[in-house]
Amino acid sequence: MARGFRLSTELVAGVVVGAVIGWLLDRWLGISPWGLIVFVLLGFAAGVLNVMRAAGVVREIDRTD
Amino acid sequence: MADPIHQFQIIDLLPIAKIGSTEIAFTNSAAFMLVAAGGITAFLLGATAKGRLVPNRLQSTAELSYEFVANTVRGTAGAEGMKFFPFVFTLFMFILTVNMIGLIPYAFTVTSHIIITAALAITVFLTVLIYGLWSHGLHFFNLFVPKGVPIYILPLIVMIEILSFLSRPISHSVRLFANMLAGHITLKVFAGFIILMGGFGAFGWAGAALPFAMIVILTALEMLVAFLQAYVFAILTCIYLNDAIHPGH
Repeated sequence: MARGFRLSTELVAGVVVGAVIGWLLDRWLGISPWGLIVFVLLGFAAGVLNVMRAAGVVREIDRTD
Repeated sequence: MADPIHQFQIIDLLPIAKIGSTEIAFTNSAAFMLVAAGGITAFLLGATAKGRLVPNRLQSTAELSYEFVANTVRGTAGAEGMKFFPFVFTLFMFILTVNMIGLIPYAFTVTSHIIITAALAITVFLTVLIYGLWSHGLHFFNLFVPKGVPIYILPLIVMIEILSFLSRPISHSVRLFANMLAGHITLKVFAGFIILMGGFGAFGWAGAALPFAMIVILTALEMLVAFLQAYVFAILTCIYLNDAIHPGH
């Protein structure tokens, strides 16, 4: 359970950070809804990256470069 | 029925000051943090006072905890990471002690409040950021530029890496907080079942043995979780510090 918990928080954290940044950019720059759309997608990608790092899929590839 | 959330209530024990409309008080949370810090200090001072060559039980426990954290730091952040050993050791011992104290009946679990774990995670995050910028200057931002990526998708990758970096304190804090919160609520809910079943006479008493056995098992599991989450917090701190010490993958 601990492992599943860890991976799910990693994914959600990425999406949340993306959503918050997108929402703030929308408010400050008045570009609603484009900031939210773009940054939620980027945040989702970051979340997937987090999960892959946490699961140890990506880190090994980084090291061999 | 007993309220499983009641255990997380913050109680003001001693009002200290009033800033604006915000009351600053010495709470039960602060009291348990103080107990944990005092307990760790007493344990380490007591264990190392004699400095025996052949350690007794107390001293070897202290040596064991030192070795354990030192090996974690060396294994994850390298020998240079040892300059952060006091920081990681403090975090690990504090979280472990606070989690374990929380398992004592009627005790308050400090780490079941997200403000505590968030403060710890943000401290780690800022340490990584400030130390990385201080020791590597702008080269620290190489962290966001992985090697061997074609130039036309590089802006996208850099944005994703930055978001991934910013999401660290969130997952770092939520993991510890959610594990402690969920575990303690589960314990209290099963404890509530015992009371409910006990109300049904002799047949209920026999039935109440089931949730009671569950509580015994769950308490053992929670001890494992308390240790594991302290360890996970410490090892993630080491991984993040490793990025500050050696940026650019």
